[in-house]
Amino acid sequence: MSRSFLFIPGDVPRMIQQLEIFSADSVILDFEDSVATHQKDEARNLVESFLTQHHFTTPAIYVRINATDSDEFIADMQTLKNLPIKGIVLPKASLAAIETVTKHLTLPIIALLETPSGFLSLPDIAQHPSVEGLLLGAEDLAKSLDLERTVSGEEILYFRSQLVLTAKAYHKYAIDTPFTNTTSDIGLLEDIKRSRQLGFDAKAAIHPNHISAINQHFSPSEAAIHEARRIMTIAEKQQSVRFSLDGRMIDKPIIDRAKKTLDLAKRYRLL
Amino acid sequence: MQPIYHSLEALFNDLPLKDGLNISFHHHLRNGDATQNLILSYLRKQQLNDLNLYPSAIFPVHTELLTLLKEGRVKNITTNYINGPVAEFLASNPLPGQLKMQTHGGRARAIIKGETTIDIAFIAAPIVDAQGNAAGYDGPSACGSLGYAIEDSQYAKKTVLITDHRVEKLPQYEIKSKDVDAILCVDSLGNREGIVSGTTAITKDPVGLKIANNAARLIDELKLVKPGMNFQSGAGGISLKVTDHLREMLRARNVKAGFFSGGITQSHVEMLNEGLVERLYDVQCFDLAAIQSLKTNPSHIAISASDYANPDNQNRVIKNLDLVILGATEIDLNFNVNVTTDSYNTIIGGSGGHSDTATDSFVSLIVTPLFKARTPIIKKRVNTITTRGKNIDILVTERGIAINPLRLDLLDRLKESHLPIYPIEALLEKAYAYTGIPQEYDLRDQPLGVVEDRDGQIIDTLYTKKRR
Repeated sequence: MSRSFLFIPGDVPRMIQQLEIFSADSVILDFEDSVATHQKDEARNLVESFLTQHHFTTPAIYVRINATDSDEFIADMQTLKNLPIKGIVLPKASLAAIETVTKHLTLPIIALLETPSGFLSLPDIAQHPSVEGLLLGAEDLAKSLDLERTVSGEEILYFRSQLVLTAKAYHKYAIDTPFTNTTSDIGLLEDIKRSRQLGFDAKAAIHPNHISAINQHFSPSEAAIHEARRIMTIAEKQQSVRFSLDGRMIDKPIIDRAKKTLDLAKRYRLL
Repeated sequence: MQPIYHSLEALFNDLPLKDGLNISFHHHLRNGDATQNLILSYLRKQQLNDLNLYPSAIFPVHTELLTLLKEGRVKNITTNYINGPVAEFLASNPLPGQLKMQTHGGRARAIIKGETTIDIAFIAAPIVDAQGNAAGYDGPSACGSLGYAIEDSQYAKKTVLITDHRVEKLPQYEIKSKDVDAILCVDSLGNREGIVSGTTAITKDPVGLKIANNAARLIDELKLVKPGMNFQSGAGGISLKVTDHLREMLRARNVKAGFFSGGITQSHVEMLNEGLVERLYDVQCFDLAAIQSLKTNPSHIAISASDYANPDNQNRVIKNLDLVILGATEIDLNFNVNVTTDSYNTIIGGSGGHSDTATDSFVSLIVTPLFKARTPIIKKRVNTITTRGKNIDILVTERGIAINPLRLDLLDRLKESHLPIYPIEALLEKAYAYTGIPQEYDLRDQPLGVVEDRDGQIIDTLYTKKRR
């Protein structure tokens, strides 16, 4: 599971060649909105050439393709056919768009929810077997709904919660929208904390300098790891799923959660 | 009392003007300095030849020197740093004599020891009192410490202060009246905006931040952050970010450092004011905050180049450094570092205090991207050795860290580390994976001069650039 998804424009070589150093768990190489129409071919050539020469296990590599109804879609599919990527990010996700993609590729899909109609069919999208995660695209969604974007993000609270609820219902990853202000460190931290409170598993970013804070807040805290270790030590020692710790009753769900915390801590090299 | 002059003609009527003069300048006014141009312009009008120049550094603003060079009036130049048109000229035009690139500490040593003899030291002095004492912390051309001019004032046959601001009495001063032979009053020492360096902004570049973060984690794992630790960093954006990380570590551990030395910036001043460090030893101020602090804070202490880094001075400050953060234009597989020339043999800087501090500090740490503009920073052999590899301990890049195998003690401290530590050869291979193996060209043409280490040893030869 990734904590952070970093968008990198597909036509900027100096960013692409550095993609492994930003500590993002996943990188999304972008063919869509950050690439001008006249640069689309260059982006495809660059990404194809780079990923043919350089193979990554960390970070996981995704590519955000152009929308299925765009002129660029087929060329995107041909470029990605044989590339070693983890999956694709599908903009303006809908059930029809997912089915169109799966006719060309069998890769896992992260569905980018950024249209009102996409949200209305959220359960159908989430249930599709090719979909591994749901990513909120707040900027385009706000534009469609005439929402005024704020730093605190009250206007997207409903959509954030709906996306988390649906993702969890169908055991898919819930990935929050990027924080687009690149100068407000305080705003970034508030936004990340809000994501965590609402139950997101991960958060996207459009600037490498946001990754460190995202990773930190989406990792188990030192206190949580310490508590999980105590719980697992007793559980293993007593071979029991029900015991008392510091006057608290510990049962199976808490033990499962402790095990998950330690698994994540191990994955993120925090142990 | 020294004579006071208001014109160059009057001044030079009383000074020995002759071919072959040895004259010095300091560089505390950096790219705002008007005084070197003023003096050299006059010497040119007097048709002097075979001049031997000892400026502590040469900046793009020093255009009169370029004119003298083009006219063939300069025989030798001995300096610590050259940047700009003079460097570009020298890349294709060797001197009749020699260019010698020294370190800051080595320059002070050579002057004190008599290896460098200065006939006239011209010292731009932002504030001078009625007794002839001088300082740099005040006046319209304030530049802060005058550290690199102190030995010049003490050992030159004649010392001339050039000032645009005189007061009755200075409460504290660096240049003593007894060392001053004459004072020249001018309207202005230079351009204030050029005096204050523009390079003191903390990096926001993601690659730079990654390097600084790697360096901070390494410093932490080496357990260098402890009460009384002594630290120096340059004014580059990555170095300043490492200093910022150090500030956070000192705060978090409630630890107070001993001293910070070298070029002082706003970051250092803030840490002094916050009580995170006991003293600043300032041989050069990089910004207005540092100048103001030097003027008002008794724990912010101006020091001479000799007290800073002269290897013969047993009380030199840098002898007690625990950690110095430095940059590199190139570093080779033997950890030799070049900050003097680019790959085409053009001089782009010089040691300054690089070799001095790397040699003395318990840990010397280089921070640099692994490659710049598709060129690996690591070479099989650097173009020019500025600092010998035996004095460089660690290379920190965005893609990994290399420890000099001579530092078995550091390797031992890091044997349980999760940091990305590789042999330097492996880091070079990582760079090659992105850049390919660059074709090497031998662009050395005629000998131009030498690089002299702080102890007087010649460690490399400088060449003019071969045309391709």
